[in-house]
Amino acid sequence: MSESGSRGVRVYRVLLHLLPRRFRRDRGAAMERLFLDMVRERTREGRSPGIGFWGRVVWDTIDQAVRERVRPGRAADTPRSSRGETMIGSVAADVRSAARSMARQPMYAMLTVLMMTLAIAGNAAVFRIFNGLFLRPLPFEDPEELVDLDETAPQWNLTYTGIAYPDLVAWREGNRGLEGLGAYSAGSADLVRAGERAVHVELVRATYDLPAVLRLEPVLGRFFTAEEDIPGGPGVALLSWGFWQDQEGGRSDVPGTTIRLSGRSYEVIGVMPPAAAFVTDASVWVPLQDDVAAFTGWYLTGIGRLSPGVTPAAAREDLLRVHRNLVEKRSFNAITSPVVSRMRDRYLGSLRAGSSVLLGSVAIVLLIACANIAGLMLARSLVRGREMGIRVAMGATTGRIVRQLLTESLVLSAAGALLGGLLGLWVSSILVGHLRQQFPPWVTFDLDWRFLLFTAGATVGAAFLFGLAPALQSARVEASQLLQGTSTRASTTGSRRRTMRVLVVAEVALALVLLIAAGLGVHDFRRLLRVDPGFRTGNLLTYSLSPEGERYDGNDRRLAFWSDHLERLRALPGVVSAAAASTLPLGGHWGWLFTVEGAPPRAPDEPNPIVLNRVVSTGYFETMGVERIAGRDFDDRDGRDEGSHVVIVDETFRRHFFPEGGDVLGRRIKAAGDSMWMTIVGIARDVRHYGVDQELQPGVYQPVRQFMSRRMQVAVRTAGPPMTALESVRAALREQDPELAPFEIGTMAQRYDDALWTRRAAAWLIAVFSSIALVLAVAGLYGVISYGVTQRIPEISIRMALGAGRGRVLWRIMGEGVFLVGSGMGLGLIAAMLAARLVSGVLVGTSVTDPLTWIGVTALLFAVGVLANLLPARRAASLQPMRALKGD
Amino acid sequence: MKPQWLQILLALSQRELHGYAIQRAVLESTDGHMTLWPAMLYRSLEALETEGLIRAVAAPADEPPDERRQYYGLTKAGRKRLAEEAELMARWVSVARRAGDR
Repeated sequence: MSESGSRGVRVYRVLLHLLPRRFRRDRGAAMERLFLDMVRERTREGRSPGIGFWGRVVWDTIDQAVRERVRPGRAADTPRSSRGETMIGSVAADVRSAARSMARQPMYAMLTVLMMTLAIAGNAAVFRIFNGLFLRPLPFEDPEELVDLDETAPQWNLTYTGIAYPDLVAWREGNRGLEGLGAYSAGSADLVRAGERAVHVELVRATYDLPAVLRLEPVLGRFFTAEEDIPGGPGVALLSWGFWQDQEGGRSDVPGTTIRLSGRSYEVIGVMPPAAAFVTDASVWVPLQDDVAAFTGWYLTGIGRLSPGVTPAAAREDLLRVHRNLVEKRSFNAITSPVVSRMRDRYLGSLRAGSSVLLGSVAIVLLIACANIAGLMLARSLVRGREMGIRVAMGATTGRIVRQLLTESLVLSAAGALLGGLLGLWVSSILVGHLRQQFPPWVTFDLDWRFLLFTAGATVGAAFLFGLAPALQSARVEASQLLQGTSTRASTTGSRRRTMRVLVVAEVALALVLLIAAGLGVHDFRRLLRVDPGFRTGNLLTYSLSPEGERYDGNDRRLAFWSDHLERLRALPGVVSAAAASTLPLGGHWGWLFTVEGAPPRAPDEPNPIVLNRVVSTGYFETMGVERIAGRDFDDRDGRDEGSHVVIVDETFRRHFFPEGGDVLGRRIKAAGDSMWMTIVGIARDVRHYGVDQELQPGVYQPVRQFMSRRMQVAVRTAGPPMTALESVRAALREQDPELAPFEIGTMAQRYDDALWTRRAAAWLIAVFSSIALVLAVAGLYGVISYGVTQRIPEISIRMALGAGRGRVLWRIMGEGVFLVGSGMGLGLIAAMLAARLVSGVLVGTSVTDPLTWIGVTALLFAVGVLANLLPARRAASLQPMRALKGD
Repeated sequence: MKPQWLQILLALSQRELHGYAIQRAVLESTDGHMTLWPAMLYRSLEALETEGLIRAVAAPADEPPDERRQYYGLTKAGRKRLAEEAELMARWVSVARRAGDR
């Protein structure tokens, strides 16, 4: 026997288990023998049994297995020896009968599948996002032990300051709650490899112990050591896995080579593992090499690993002890304190409310869809009365009928879920594509068993939800109907109508809750769009430049570079104006502390808000379209010598630092730890620097001459579409310095949109979901009223024959519908009030009790509800009583 | 009568055969149009056996022994049924011919 033949027979033997056990026992050996003969025959003829052969064999086995199991009369001659077999057999029969019944009423099946598709698509899409954000374990070893470390300074009005290096070192040495801790800071540099042009790359400066905390090992070479992570330590670097693959072709001889980063030589000592990309997408890792003795500010992101059994709160208490012990040497530590938070809480905590609201909305859509389908099934069960009656008469038990109807529900639900799941995946992929950039790299949205389990659970749950009540009712009612003839017809349709009414009331209530949430969300977002950002976003090309190395050492050289660069830009055709700033709006934070001359000294616990410090070139206010309320712009004399240091403050700064009002121009302020007084020469309008959905913080502007920052962001106001100017800008820069590469290239309008993208997407989603909910609920309402009218045609006809006017009939039917809508809305309002707290967590500028939204949405639903009633009511009122009575 | 039943009966009317040989015979006599895949073949054989049209027989002496190979042969009833079936088909054929001539 050939090897493939015997393996094939083993597979076939497994396949034969599809057949009933008795059949397998009697015929199995002979079938295996036949199978082997067929395989040999094909092998002899030189065509090995391929996919076609196997396909037919598998199909043959499945087909015959189903036929064998559902063979009529088999139950009679084989006793129920094995429960499982008869179960499978009858389930197959149920599925067949479900398919037949759907084929008889394709409209009904299509409607059901369509509703399930919409509902499941929404659920699948939102759950995939929610799963990625909050459920999937972080892609690190023992991720539940990992915590984010930071410092907070409420007195400076700062939730997170970043960690100062001396604090980090003290924590590392003194703490007892963390197994390990490390930190890093993101940056960028111009990278030059032997014989190649400069490219701008993201780099990360990390402490030597960070990989150990994350349990990451370099795939090649080694990580830097504690001895290398000291001020003035050697130039050593590791490449990220992605950079190594893309740029170095994954060559194993990379360690030992030399690269230049912003003018300094580094020896490559290793390659980071792929999982390191979940920490940062930087291409190059270098040692932090910060100095404990120097003041370098608060700028580090920390990651710690909790010791077994230690909670984040306990770890924080312990760090606080260490932190406060340092106060004598570092007075800041009385103001700052450590923060230990779970990674998700820190970075995604603010999204939890929004995600929960969206998850709630899709659940509501699913519930409404279920209620609608249940209503459809109830209406249909009347039509199917005969069928059920016959089944009962032929000895089908109630359980059997319930199971058959539930199988029908499951088949419909599964068909909808399949389509909906695919649609949901597609929708969520669009969302995920955008969302990836908004979250830390460790947030991943890959599909996993949670997604499958959720979708399957929602499908089966929905099938039971919409299928069980109608199934039970059918089974119960039809049995009695058969026994008593049709005399109970009126009462059974009555009970059915009651159930349908309850369903409609629930639908209206759920729809109202969702509509109010959506109304508030959309209203809030539209209000955000109307918020004046304080600058003009249109026609602005933006990019960053970081002139480094010996050529740019010293303030004078850098000043010369920038004035030269801006002059070149301004000379380009199509450029209206150009300016540079340490940070453009939506471009990052740089905080300083200030004191006002002559102000009484602050009490130790008096708030001293951090101030956004922007260093700007001439022409900045004009280019950005930021209005000045008072005073003058900077000029060339500002900041040349000690007495001429000046500053322009914004409105929020004036409010915070000069609460008494009065003339602010000419007054002087000073940065903490600095001796230089700066005279206020102007007041600028507030700019929404952190985004229109964020709070305003006080801010100041200084001229570049006073404080040159290394990395600057450039804004170019263009006459036409901003991106068209990019090529000439690049050319101008190449002419000026071929080794400099612009990075973070984009337009201001794009940045502005990106900053609002998550909110925009959420507003869209909830608007779509609530529209679906509204349509479904109204369709359900219409269906029930319409069904009621059809059922009551004889009754209405008699009434009309006895003299009831058409108006009376119209009002009676309308009254019934309006009562349903009203009850649903009443319940919905109560539920919405209960849900309001959840929704209020999402809103920025709108009160959750915004009367306009509540009244508007309620009125809308009521109006649509009345309309849905009007059609069937008019139909009832226009009945020809005699004809209707004869027809019955 | 199902076509595969008829073909099996036809094959067995010549001589007693085992499963694979039946499959080959049917394939040949239908010019390769009908392959009786194992599950279908054995379900048909079982049905024919239940109807009493065929029966399991001992392997002929001139064949190599293999206890997994089950040989089948026609019963008297099977032979009779096959003749009736052939008669019926012949009648249909002549009816169809006459219909075609008209």
